[in-house]
Amino acid sequence: MANTGWDEFEIGAMLRTFEGEAGNIAQTLQEDRNYTENSSFRASVADWRIEKPVFNKDYCIDCQFCWVYCPDISIISRDKKMIGIDMDHCKGCGICVEVCPTNPKSLLMFPEQADEESVIAQWPSKEEKEK
Amino acid sequence: MSEMKKIKNLKEFSTSADRFEGANLLCPGCAHSIIVREVLNATNDDLVLSASTGCLEVCTAVYPYTSWDASWIHIGFENGSTAVAGAEAMYKALKTKGRLKQPDRNPKFVSFAGDGASYDIGFQWISGCMERGHNIMHVVLDNEVYANTGGQRSSSTPIGSSATTSPAGRVSYGEKKNKKDMVAIMASHGIPYSAQVAPNKWKDMVKKIQHGMEVDGPVFINAVSPCTTEWKFDPKDTMLLTDLATDSLVFPLYEIIDGHELNITYRPKNVVPVEEYLAAQGRFKHLFKDEYKYLIKEWQERVDANWAYLNRREEARV
Repeated sequence: MANTGWDEFEIGAMLRTFEGEAGNIAQTLQEDRNYTENSSFRASVADWRIEKPVFNKDYCIDCQFCWVYCPDISIISRDKKMIGIDMDHCKGCGICVEVCPTNPKSLLMFPEQADEESVIAQWPSKEEKEK
Repeated sequence: MSEMKKIKNLKEFSTSADRFEGANLLCPGCAHSIIVREVLNATNDDLVLSASTGCLEVCTAVYPYTSWDASWIHIGFENGSTAVAGAEAMYKALKTKGRLKQPDRNPKFVSFAGDGASYDIGFQWISGCMERGHNIMHVVLDNEVYANTGGQRSSSTPIGSSATTSPAGRVSYGEKKNKKDMVAIMASHGIPYSAQVAPNKWKDMVKKIQHGMEVDGPVFINAVSPCTTEWKFDPKDTMLLTDLATDSLVFPLYEIIDGHELNITYRPKNVVPVEEYLAAQGRFKHLFKDEYKYLIKEWQERVDANWAYLNRREEARV
């Protein structure tokens, strides 16, 4: 570095999110986009989780509260329907479970190693409201 | 002018294609990305974005990754707003000279900054942008502390909050200065639109963002962003804390048009006592000791006085 002149410094970095022509990204869904390796969409934070949310579609009313309040774009909604959770990007914060308005909740947190099918089979039943 | 995106209800909103990506390094339960998503999804237009140094910047642009699907620039701590203002000035100049390749596209210029970069360090730069009348929107993600560097106080930190440079203990109850009223300061520049928003009221937020993007001139948005790390609460309670903040009137939601026309946009049906808002956070837990209990009463009085002031201003239209 001692002999680096003022005009030889790296002036910064530019990262491209998409390969080639990006087009109209605002109306292109994630599965149709052509991400480069530089997009964090290609990365994963799945190892941050201690608990994972499990989605039980039997009770879901597609209110989309979980979609709008998810900080990690991990709730996948297509055609106004909630279809699942993006487990590569979910950090397991549990906001989706807190905001779920159904009774019983259609999203619940379980330990990371829990088996999805067996916890859905033992889903808690409706809670009676205290009067 | 391009057509504004029509968002009638949450189901319609959920068909938006996000332009902010997951696997950013923000803490689990961080409200920053909820706010950013709601802002970006409010429009289908092209975006020119910037972020000043802060949690949002360091967590979404960790080389070799970027979490942004729109043009995004970061320069320094203080000049996120001026970077975007410069891009806007260039765009305007090229448009006048007829040298734009796609003149029909109508990009929106938005700069994101934390409260440190807006209330303290970037203050004069934002003030300059507002004064020069650039067609930009500045969004403050107000978490009331320098969360990125370890929780130092900023001029947004409220009275009684324990921060690392104003810790609570035997001789002190923490931060002693009251929070700066940034929305009013910015509105005093006579800018066309300034507003306070919260991520839990997404519809109110989208409406304000869309209005802000439609008007010609600088726009200032202050968004409350509960910080799970520095406010010390469980990550899953982010939305609960935001609800408490808006319903206890600690963060009243209002807008100021042309610097004088104040409208309150959300009036909670059941106003929650400020005590509940304070009790939900670890940074205020020392206030519940006997010797500091009087501060809670003062908090309530201050919040009530502010609410009365806003109501009077709304009525008087000044």
